Amino acid sequence: MRTYLAFCKKEFQENWRTYRLLSMIAVFVALGIMNPLTAKLIPTLLNGMDMGGVILEMPDPVALDSWAQYFSNISQLGMLALIIVFCGLTANEFAKGTLINVLTKGLTRHTVILAKFTVASLIWTLSYLIAFGVTWAYTIYFWGYETLPHIVVTFISPWVFGLLMIGCLMLGGIAMSGIYGALLAAGGVVIVLNLLNLSPAVHRYNPVTLAGGTYGLLAGTSTPGDFIPALWICAGATVAIVVGCVLTFDRKQL
Amino acid sequence: MNSLMDLLPVIIPLAIIQVGLMVAALIHILTHSSYKMGNRILWIVVVIVVNTIGPILYFVLGRSDEERS
Repeated sequence: MRTYLAFCKKEFQENWRTYRLLSMIAVFVALGIMNPLTAKLIPTLLNGMDMGGVILEMPDPVALDSWAQYFSNISQLGMLALIIVFCGLTANEFAKGTLINVLTKGLTRHTVILAKFTVASLIWTLSYLIAFGVTWAYTIYFWGYETLPHIVVTFISPWVFGLLMIGCLMLGGIAMSGIYGALLAAGGVVIVLNLLNLSPAVHRYNPVTLAGGTYGLLAGTSTPGDFIPALWICAGATVAIVVGCVLTFDRKQL
Repeated sequence: MNSLMDLLPVIIPLAIIQVGLMVAALIHILTHSSYKMGNRILWIVVVIVVNTIGPILYFVLGRSDEERS
């Protein structure tokens, strides 16, 4: 346990000194601010465009538009930032050979994996909460306070999908010993899940619907039950991937 | 109707973050002479042209671990 906490601290310092923590927070604050702003600006922008005589009657933006932007941005820009920042999480250690010293001094291999996953998840959690908080604050500022229905399921879903992405990046980085392996694993998983999503029958069970799909809960077009199976599958897959990381890393030649 | 004044409380913090990230990355580029990949001109262009994601790309992919020169 002591070695685990010590390695967590080292990981945290690494993320701080390599500007990763700073980048994540800056991107997610920016993302949080952009959502209400885009929602406010879209009608103005569309009205300003010359549509060749077609007159677009845009309704005034409402709080729901801001949340629509939130889910679309989190599932695209947010996931992109997460993947870019953490693609070197395990891959860089192989490239630099920095783990050999600590492992030969008696640090167990699963401690390394668990600590890396913990710290990356904590940073993701913090960034996600910041983006959510900023969007919520500005939405209240512009449109007044409204209670959000099913707040837990709605907002926990993209977060759980982010954890799955961190797991994929780690497993890819270990299995293929490089940044490209990590990117391939995370990108591959997203592409395969999106292809599976072509069939409506799997929507309920497909983790990728969690990334942005829970907007439907706010809009009232879906119920929490539509996402619960996918949530469990995503959480289960994340645990399985972390266990997979530990097992792969145990057999890995450094 | 949206007047610019209404949106100022949103635009100002957003601008501060984007300019802040850009300046931080530019300072880092100019005080270091070697990069993991690419060269100084490339990174300066990327950081200035691609907002928010550009500085992040530099910190993750371009920043070398060597001391400042």
